[in-house]
Formats: sequence, structure tokens, C-alpha cells
Amino acid sequence: MNRRTTRHRLRVLSGYVGGVLLGAVLWQVIGTIAPHEVFDSLSDTLARLWQIILDGTLGTALWTSFQTYLVGMVFALIIGAFGGLLLARRQLLRIALEPYAIALYATPMVGIIPFLLALLGFGFWPKVVVIILFAFFPVLLNTQRGAQSISPELLDVARVYRTRERDIWRHVILPYTLPFLMTGVRQSLARGLVGMIAADFFLSSDGLGGLLITASERFDTAEMLAITLVITVIGLALMAIGRALENHFARWRVG
Amino acid sequence: MPTVTEVEPMIHVDHLGKQYGERTVFSDISFDVNPGEIVSIVGPSGCGKTTLLRCVVGLMKPSHGTVLVSGTPVVDPPEGVAMVFQHFGLFPWKTIAANVAYGLTAKGVSMKDAAPRVHELIKLVGLEGFEKSYPYQLSGGMQQRAGLARALAVEPGVLVMDEPFAALDAQTRDILQLELLRIWGTRSAAMMFVTHSIDEAVLMGDRIVILRGRPSSIFDIVDVGIPHPRGRETVDTDRFRTVRDYVWRAVMHDEADDTPLPTDADAVRIEPQSHRNMNGHDHG
Repeated sequence: MNRRTTRHRLRVLSGYVGGVLLGAVLWQVIGTIAPHEVFDSLSDTLARLWQIILDGTLGTALWTSFQTYLVGMVFALIIGAFGGLLLARRQLLRIALEPYAIALYATPMVGIIPFLLALLGFGFWPKVVVIILFAFFPVLLNTQRGAQSISPELLDVARVYRTRERDIWRHVILPYTLPFLMTGVRQSLARGLVGMIAADFFLSSDGLGGLLITASERFDTAEMLAITLVITVIGLALMAIGRALENHFARWRVG
Repeated sequence: MPTVTEVEPMIHVDHLGKQYGERTVFSDISFDVNPGEIVSIVGPSGCGKTTLLRCVVGLMKPSHGTVLVSGTPVVDPPEGVAMVFQHFGLFPWKTIAANVAYGLTAKGVSMKDAAPRVHELIKLVGLEGFEKSYPYQLSGGMQQRAGLARALAVEPGVLVMDEPFAALDAQTRDILQLELLRIWGTRSAAMMFVTHSIDEAVLMGDRIVILRGRPSSIFDIVDVGIPHPRGRETVDTDRFRTVRDYVWRAVMHDEADDTPLPTDADAVRIEPQSHRNMNGHDHG
């Protein structure tokens, strides 16, 4: 590594650390000045975070939330992938169902939760349904767009070399669509997280969202901030996972 | 000297026509391609060259007429036919080796069993060392070399080229034309070579089918009459110029203007010069 890139990296690193430090200091100062019911300082937040980690509250909530998240995401992925492929390759289905898909995508999902509550009540599965509804659209739409954008030339190649119909799916359509699907997964991971918190808000008093609600009812600003911080870190981690997945499967799409 | 009637043509196109609804793309097209022969198809853009070719390989159903490959009517893409595509048609998620092997693996041959032939063909087209590369890592010319290797891997009796060099820069095109002739010389496939470049049609073809008109039909079939092996110097011969000028005028010729053709036509048709032996496959 030459001197120039070293200096460049140092600059980037110092900017990064500086930004984080500045944010932390601002948080601390504002939190100290502001009334506790409105905002709390970083030190109080971290202290409270430590407390809920130690007494197990956070762990239990995390576990509850992530069970629903995982189950919901698996369903969202399956529905999105198969639905997208079907919509892409079966014209009649596409014409019939696409308006609904787009209308539902445009509807803010939070607005549907009260109906689900009336329909399904409280509990594990209604929450899973909420997460599915939040998360499956990006997978569906990206998969559909991918599978529809296969160049006709590649399908000609498959046919000229006498590929059987089911092998055309296996050799051409699926590998071509996979990176698009992964773009959908990346977007879905974040939307599913929103769905998870929203489901906790409306459909139960446990999970991360439930913890957040009860903290706010107690005007425990430090705990609210601590949980929000946890959710943010989870969101960032999911984004990183999604990005890594997408890059891994899209490596041939470079250039 | 055997005449054409004694040789079974590899490709026999019989009164072929294609319509889309009201619009007729081409009609009444008949010609043969014999074993070991290259037939170029030229015509102005939009004359249906690619459509014709898709009908020949069974990717598309013609509206009229039939195509026989090795004496068998074409319904679906037949065995023993390989095609090279304008935009190379490589699967971007497969390595070069896997792409070259595709015609074999699609038939159920394992990658391992295909390996020796794949290696030999990659060497033949000059892509040694790129077996594990992905198409996006290669230049257009190299990608088309891989496309050619893939076509040769199935040991085709019929090789169909759909403007294979049209997407390449002029220099690469010149190199690949001669490379293709060199490689083709080691095999005996019948080749159908679709191009919109008249120079290319003359350089590559033993005969040239000229399409014209709307809907297009065969205006003429020309014997090029230049012996193989051909090289860069071929384009400097009188014969090349004579044939090129004739084909050029035939393609560009206005229906209303009927003066310049006959003399050139005579030069091309009646005077096969010293290449009489090339004219075993008369189109008459």
C-alpha cells in the first residue's frame, strides 16, 4: 500500500469516527438539557440498555420478535419467488392479478392491520401474516421483473441446443432470475422489520415493539431510546446481510 | 464431377414463406445448402434474413413451405444443428467452459465427460486460459469465439450463423472472419451465413442468396467461385471485386432502374473463370 492510499484511508476513518463522536456528544448534551419525559442522554440510554440486557427483558423480546420475523420472512420469500415467476411466465395470470398486486403494494400496510386484528385476532400467526404482507412484495415484483427481462436470445440458445422445457427453467430462467430475487430479498428484509415492529404494536404486548410501547406508557424515555437503538442496529445488520446476498448472487451481472 | 442432383443437400428450403397477420415478410424462398458448403444470405435490413434463419433451425414455424435438414422435415430445432448468435448468446452466469459445454450438458452429458472436447475447442478458437472466466470478463470478439466453440462442440452437420460479427468492431470482425474460415476448413459442416455486409457475404460464401423486395424473395443466387483456402488477399482479387459489385448493385438496385445489372450478371454467372470446379453445386 502506498502513502497516498494510507493517507486517504486515514482521512476516511477520521471522518467516520468524528461523525460518530459528534453525534454522541450532541445526544449527550441535548439529553442532559431536555426534560426526561421527552429525551434522555446517551449515558442514561446505555445504562438502561445494559440493565434490560442483564435482567433478560431484551433477550426475551428479541427472541419472540425474531421467531415471528423468521417464519414470516420464509413465507414471504416463498410466496414472492413463486408468485413472481408465475406472474412473469403466465400471461393470463399476470393480466388478471397484476392490478391487485400493484394496488396492494401502493397501500400503506399499517392500514390493513386493524382488519387483520378483527379477522384473525391476537397471537403468533396474525403477526406472521403482517410480516408476510409487509415483506413479500419486493421479492414478488423483483422476481417478476427479472424473469420477464430474460433476453429472447438466451431462450433461443436453450432451444437450439435442444434443452427440455423443464430444463429451460432450471438452466435459464431460474439462474437468470436469482440476482433479481436477491435484490427483492434485500428490500424485503428491511420491510419485514417494519412489519415486525408494527405487528408488535398492534397485535401483542410482547416482542421488541411491545417493549417499546410499554416503555412509552411508563414515560421511560431511556428505555425507549435503548430499544430504538437496538432496532436500528438490527436494521443496519439486515441491510448488510441483504447487500452481501445480492452481491454474491449478482457477481456475473458486473459490467 | 458430381452434380448437385447426386448429393443430398444438408439444408433444403422449399417454397418457404412467412407472414405476420397481413404482413408478408418473405415468400417463395427455395435454395439448398450442400455438405461442406457455405451459403451467405444477404439483403437489405428488415428483409427477413433472421426470420428465414429462425424458420430453418426450427425456432419459428413458417407460414408456407418446408425445410428439410438431412432429409428430415424441421418442426423443432433438430439434432446436429448449431447456431451462432448476433449477441453471442452466452449465459452470463456460466463460465466460458460451461458455456462451451452447454450443447452437450443440455443433452445430459456430464461436465466431466465433456471436458476433453471442451478443452480441445477452447484451444481451437484461441481461448486457452479463459476457461474459468465469466463472459463479462471477455471482449466481444472473445465472447463470440466462445459462441463458436459452443456451436462446434455438438459436432454439427449444419452450422447457422446469424450476423455473428455484426456486433463487433471492424478489426475484430476481419480477424474472426478469417479465423472462422480456417476453423470451418477443418470440418465439413454445411454453413448458412446471414449477414448484411456484402463484403462479408462474398468473403465467406461459396454461394450467395440475395433477398430483395417487399415482401422479400430471392432475387438471385450467385456462385462466388473463389477457391478455398481464402485469406486477406482474397479481397484484392478481381473475382472478389466483380462478385461484390454485382451483389452490391443487386441489393441496392432500384426496381425502376433496370440498366446496370445484365452485364454484371453475365460476368458472375457465365464466366466462372478458372474456378469451374467450385461450381459443382449449381443452383439452377
